[in-house]
Amino acid sequence: MTTTSISLSLEIWRQKDSRDKGDFETYTLINISTDMSFLEMLDVLNEQLTREGKDPVAFDHDCREGICGMCGVVINGIAHGPEPETTLCQLHMRHFNDGDTLVIEPFRSRAFPIRKDLVIDRSALDRIIQAGGYVSVNTGGTPDANAIPIPAPVAELAMDAASCIGCGACVASCPNGSAMLFTGAKISQLSLLPQGHPERHKRAMAMVTTMDKEGFGNCTNERECEAVCPKGISIRNIARMNREFVRASFLS
Amino acid sequence: MNYKLTWVTIMFFIHFVKSSIGKKWIMACSGCFLLLFLCSHAAGNATLFNSVSLFQAYSDQLHGHPLIIAILSKILFSVFVIHIVTGVLLFFQNRSARSSGYKVQKRAVKNSLASRTMIYSGLFIMFFILAHTDAVSFGDHGTIGLTISSLFSSPGTIIFYIVSFLILAIHLSHGFWSMLQTFGINHPKYNPLIRNLTYAIPVFFLLLFSAIPLLFVI
Ligand code: FES
Repeated sequence: MTTTSISLSLEIWRQKDSRDKGDFETYTLINISTDMSFLEMLDVLNEQLTREGKDPVAFDHDCREGICGMCGVVINGIAHGPEPETTLCQLHMRHFNDGDTLVIEPFRSRAFPIRKDLVIDRSALDRIIQAGGYVSVNTGGTPDANAIPIPAPVAELAMDAASCIGCGACVASCPNGSAMLFTGAKISQLSLLPQGHPERHKRAMAMVTTMDKEGFGNCTNERECEAVCPKGISIRNIARMNREFVRASFLS
Repeated sequence: MNYKLTWVTIMFFIHFVKSSIGKKWIMACSGCFLLLFLCSHAAGNATLFNSVSLFQAYSDQLHGHPLIIAILSKILFSVFVIHIVTGVLLFFQNRSARSSGYKVQKRAVKNSLASRTMIYSGLFIMFFILAHTDAVSFGDHGTIGLTISSLFSSPGTIIFYIVSFLILAIHLSHGFWSMLQTFGINHPKYNPLIRNLTYAIPVFFLLLFSAIPLLFVI
């Protein structure tokens, strides 16, 4: 296998802290191997900046294997970059060409304050989960694994919804800064399964109310979230949440 | 006790209406009502394909029931107001939820023209309706056949009407699908049908309504 290398021009959002106004800075990188991941490319940049005595670019990451949901920036206007169903850490430089200019911005939304450079505060999503993204289970003897029969298609749908890693790309890409794909997936994952049924009304009310309180916008069915979601979560989950919320509002 | 229960119900409703999903439902339900009105309006207008006198007869029939007309027109007006006010409110709320825009503005979804321009197409339709009701609905219904014949004798009016129908079709193409999604109707079994209807319904109304002013040209 031959390794090629490319040169890039990067325009990166630099912001000292939450209060700083922030602005773009331009960097040039040469000899970037196309086998590198996007984050490794940023590592190379940061080494270079450190050697020059400059402040490295702050960005979030953890697992670097597409499962934790920590990473994420907007590359040339698209959250997580141009590859569909790919987290930023799983995006490889072979998808870019020699001489490309990449504009790299943090995920933006009123509910996601920028902490530094590309690092944002996504704790609003955690608070939505705290409001109702759980099932209450009393302790006792270990229940039998298959004591509650669940039809396979339902289990599949719940698993699809559960694959959300909470990266916030849906919010970042939504023209309305809405978190409905995230909340819809979390509500669906639990309300589809029998274990989640007892609390479904309370859950839908609490999670939607918290979502609104955190300052996320209103969904107008633009479908941008679905298009950028690295886990391919379907807006069918938003439709399900709409039903759950109405049922909870009028029938509970 | 009873008062308290009523109060709880009212609070619940207010909470629902104020929530993000509640507003979605308001847009969808009012939109659904307006779509049904559009159907009945189209059916009435279709009499023009037969003759102006049949249309006149239909209008006379309709206005022979002043009470029904009075109630329905008030309801229709209220639904319009609800749809417009909620839509404008959503527009401003959403604009402030997206703190600041990106330097590179790009959409991941193709064909997002209709969804991006809902507020503008909607406001245009509002102006069209104001102009249209001013010219037609508030006139003398006894001579409505003559009113529209003279209205469509001017090419400027015809162009204005057809452009408006085009914008209405664009508005509907997002609105119809969006309404079903809000109602929670999104299922692989029905999605292909819904996708086809999303094109078919706007095109149907566009052709039907545009044909009417053209009737007066030929
Ligand atoms: S770093 Fe964990 S998903 Fe990208």
